[in-house]
Amino acid sequence: MGNVLAASSPAPPSAPGSGVVQGGPGLVSVPPGFSMPSVPPPSVPGQPAGETGSPLPNPGTYEECHRKCKEVVPIQLEGVRLVVNKGLSNHFQVSHTVTLSTLAESGYRFGATYVGTQQTGPAESFPVMMGDMDNTGSLNAQVIHQLTSAVRSKIAIQTQQHKFVNWQCDLEYRGDDFTSAVTLGNPDVLLGSGIIVAHYLQSISPALALGGELVYHRRPGEEGAVTSLMGRYTGNNYVATLTLGGAGAHATYYHRANDQLQLGVEFEGSMRTQETAVSFGYQLDLPKANLLFKGSVDSNWVVGAVLEKKLLPLPLSLALGAFLNQKKNTFQCGVNVTVG
Amino acid sequence: MAGIEELSPAVGPVDTRPPEGEIDEDEDEELDETFIERLWGLTEMFPDTLRSAAEVTISSSVTMAKKLYSFSRAALWVGTTSFMILVLPVVFETERLQLEQQQLQQQRQILLGPNAGMSGGMPGMMPPAPVKM
Repeated sequence: MGNVLAASSPAPPSAPGSGVVQGGPGLVSVPPGFSMPSVPPPSVPGQPAGETGSPLPNPGTYEECHRKCKEVVPIQLEGVRLVVNKGLSNHFQVSHTVTLSTLAESGYRFGATYVGTQQTGPAESFPVMMGDMDNTGSLNAQVIHQLTSAVRSKIAIQTQQHKFVNWQCDLEYRGDDFTSAVTLGNPDVLLGSGIIVAHYLQSISPALALGGELVYHRRPGEEGAVTSLMGRYTGNNYVATLTLGGAGAHATYYHRANDQLQLGVEFEGSMRTQETAVSFGYQLDLPKANLLFKGSVDSNWVVGAVLEKKLLPLPLSLALGAFLNQKKNTFQCGVNVTVG
Repeated sequence: MAGIEELSPAVGPVDTRPPEGEIDEDEDEELDETFIERLWGLTEMFPDTLRSAAEVTISSSVTMAKKLYSFSRAALWVGTTSFMILVLPVVFETERLQLEQQQLQQQRQILLGPNAGMSGGMPGMMPPAPVKM
């Protein structure tokens, strides 16, 4: 069961219309009408920090650079969610999710994950196939496969009932000290529309990595491109990342104060809406009390926290979340219970 | 002169002012309405600049006091709810953990004797073995 759990990527993207609210503009600005699927990148392989002999380590993927800071910030929970995970074998895992929500629709979701037999590292195996189906018939599916030792591919589709909303294919090449990826999103040969995203990230020094992103989108009668540059500096116990692009600026700073406390500061400025937002988040880890606490304060006067506690004799984990918007005086709270 | 007529002595001197009682009534009526105004009228003895300066000072301090009151209300509410969300659960959990650990320590003390109750007590310390017959 360890294989299945370790190799599975984070949960597939939730269908639009679920109650999760995440503030702030996305990294890639996509014109309205296009939906950039938020498919999570493959899990970080257990690669050593540098190949023996080569001084520069592989920098990881482009999307992961802001991830460390984002993980510190809590996610807004809403309503009651019960997740039951059951591992049927070393390769196969099944999950049932029941969501009861006040803002969005309540529903049931069934998910299955299959992890294949080709082992590339101690904690990963390929191919990984994940599928998720809603009670209304909406499907999210992902297939991740390691084609060669350096090339990884991913195909993801997302449907809303019977209509295909997102379909994308992704190819990633990991070199010695660089990573490049090409993503083809919603290609439609008949209409002549689609999105192509190209990422490139290069290690300049063991601490510094620079990269760029190019997004080209095309629709019948309209086409455009957006570029952005990214720099990431890794220190002893901190990671600072800056992304500058046509869509705006996004800077994050992640700091590990001690093995219990991690801090993250995020600054986001969007050219399109001419708005800036700063948010400060912290994560407190108390393994002795089986407690994980994440809190955040925002420049939009939003205060939120999520408390996760493992109720230990049973394989049960309880998450309580509360988000309060002081300015608009609105409040949202939620409970997540995870079994297994 | 013969044309001057003598008024009847009953008429008495011509009174151009109303009698005392009416004067008092009139002034009493004015007194009921104008007590505050009489006090206010007293301030008219101060020069204009002093009066306007005092008025500005008093009105601005009243406005500031109102603003301070409403600000402290809002700040108290924001502070309390933010503290409740961000800090309180962690405080509860750490207190609970401390209590549990204390309880465990106490139990260990009761079971194994006072010295063994300390976490990281001396490794060579053995509890007294029961005497077997």
